[in-house]
Amino acid sequence: MSLFRAEGLVKRFGGLLATDHVSLAVEAGEIHALIGPNGAGKSTLVDLISGLLPADAGRIVLDGVELTALTPHARTRAGLARCFQISSVFRNDSVRDNLLLAVQAQAGSSFRCLSRRDAEHALQERAEALAQRTGLAEVLERNAGTLAHGLQKRLDLALALAARPRLLLLDEPMAGMGPEDSQQMVALIRGLAGETAILLIEHDMDAVFQLADRISVLVYGKVLTSGDAAHIKGHAEVQAVYLGTEVAG
Amino acid sequence: MPERFPGLARRLPWLVLALLAAFPLLAPALGLEYYVGFVRRVLIVAIAASSLNFILGYGGMAALGHAGFIGVGAYTVVALVEAGVSSAWLAWGSAAVLAGLFAAAIGAVSLRTRGVYFIMITLAFAQMLHYLAVSLRTYGGDDGYGLYTPLALGAWLDGAHAQVFYWVVLAIAAAVFALFSRVAHSRYGHALRGVRDNETRMVALGYPVYRLKLAGFVAAGAVAGLAGGLLASHNAFVSPSIMHWTQSALLLVMVMLGGAGRRWGAPLGVALWLTLEEVLKLYTDYWHWPLGLLLLLVVFHAPQGVAALLERRAGKEGAR
Repeated sequence: MSLFRAEGLVKRFGGLLATDHVSLAVEAGEIHALIGPNGAGKSTLVDLISGLLPADAGRIVLDGVELTALTPHARTRAGLARCFQISSVFRNDSVRDNLLLAVQAQAGSSFRCLSRRDAEHALQERAEALAQRTGLAEVLERNAGTLAHGLQKRLDLALALAARPRLLLLDEPMAGMGPEDSQQMVALIRGLAGETAILLIEHDMDAVFQLADRISVLVYGKVLTSGDAAHIKGHAEVQAVYLGTEVAG
Repeated sequence: MPERFPGLARRLPWLVLALLAAFPLLAPALGLEYYVGFVRRVLIVAIAASSLNFILGYGGMAALGHAGFIGVGAYTVVALVEAGVSSAWLAWGSAAVLAGLFAAAIGAVSLRTRGVYFIMITLAFAQMLHYLAVSLRTYGGDDGYGLYTPLALGAWLDGAHAQVFYWVVLAIAAAVFALFSRVAHSRYGHALRGVRDNETRMVALGYPVYRLKLAGFVAAGAVAGLAGGLLASHNAFVSPSIMHWTQSALLLVMVMLGGAGRRWGAPLGVALWLTLEEVLKLYTDYWHWPLGLLLLLVVFHAPQGVAALLERRAGKEGAR
């Protein structure tokens, strides 16, 4: 049985059917990429799965546990973490404080209100380990808002990783990046494959073909087809609606 | 940036506390006896403002109904006195508990809204409490209720010194200030600021954002209720005007003037505002407009409040 299944997800915005009975499965240890032209409803789908948007119909199951009725924060606790297309970090705080806040959420109660948080060694160590593996160790004391774009995206990813997810939703982790930053991000994501399954939304086709075990194509809120890279590259309809001549290169 | 006055920042709170504690003893010699009562009022208002600063400055909740909780506290004292209770501690403790319960009920509804809606709904609840107090004939309605016998502090405290109530208020104010300062650096304090800065991300991190906010709202309501109870004793009189919406607005103004989200913001704002009001009243009946002018100056030159300005001066940019 699949680690994660979304079944018959529907979302309407007025007359627009943004998500049209979408069903998806992600296997354990798999990187499943979701591609599609602008406006296909990819980000909406991520919002539905993470719970930031309520779905009109459908269900979501992670590891045999039904998440459909859970609030967004409870879904994170159940093992489903997400990144944001536009980096969503705490811009006025240092990278260290960002990471501490993220690891704190998973380590005991956040209603503790008398002891000093920064004196908790276990939290500091986890934050530093997280910085180490995401390449942020050098900038731990910098303000998150002053980081270059590529580093902010990495911080965004680190915040999601702090939840120790079973399934990680990545909403365009390479968006707006130069080739060098992109390659570093690809390496980082590949390194995660052992510990969490990933649903990857990405426009950068090179990155998708490098990373994905399986690719689904979303068009007008519907899944057009699913398969491995070769299947997608050879699919006539996909080429027509989306890839165009890009595949040739 | 290094601190320009190392150690001063750490010693200053104790220095201020010592001066405030000595004030009633020094006042007669300086001919300032009248101002002992004034400082007591400043301290009580500072307790209320600190609680508002906690949810506004740290939690990002712009509540425009805080005077409602002060009122609940004050009327709790009135109701208990009317029922024959004479213990100050019982009365003030009940004031805090009851205001906390009201805050739980009001917060549970209000915190489902955001931004302007939150401002309006907290205002609406406070106005409902105001009109409820107006309609309570037993407690004087619009005319208010006089508390003619001071509440008993118990044991050796009563009659130990004419100003014993002043020191009790000072001790409570110091404790409240120390408590909020401590909470600000705890897990909960960090989480609350996270909600203020980026609520969506906090949800995605797995934080129960609604419950975090509600806990802060209830704590702030309870402390405001305590301040209300103290204010009832201080004035020896309670009327519905104590929870008029202008009082909530004034409290907001004082917190912003001092610096929302700053450790010293609330006491500084309250001391500055009330002192200026007191001084200006000596010279003119039209004391409102210089205060308005001051507010404009602060908005334009120190939008983060006076506390932020002082922190910058002391070379502690970014301290919270």
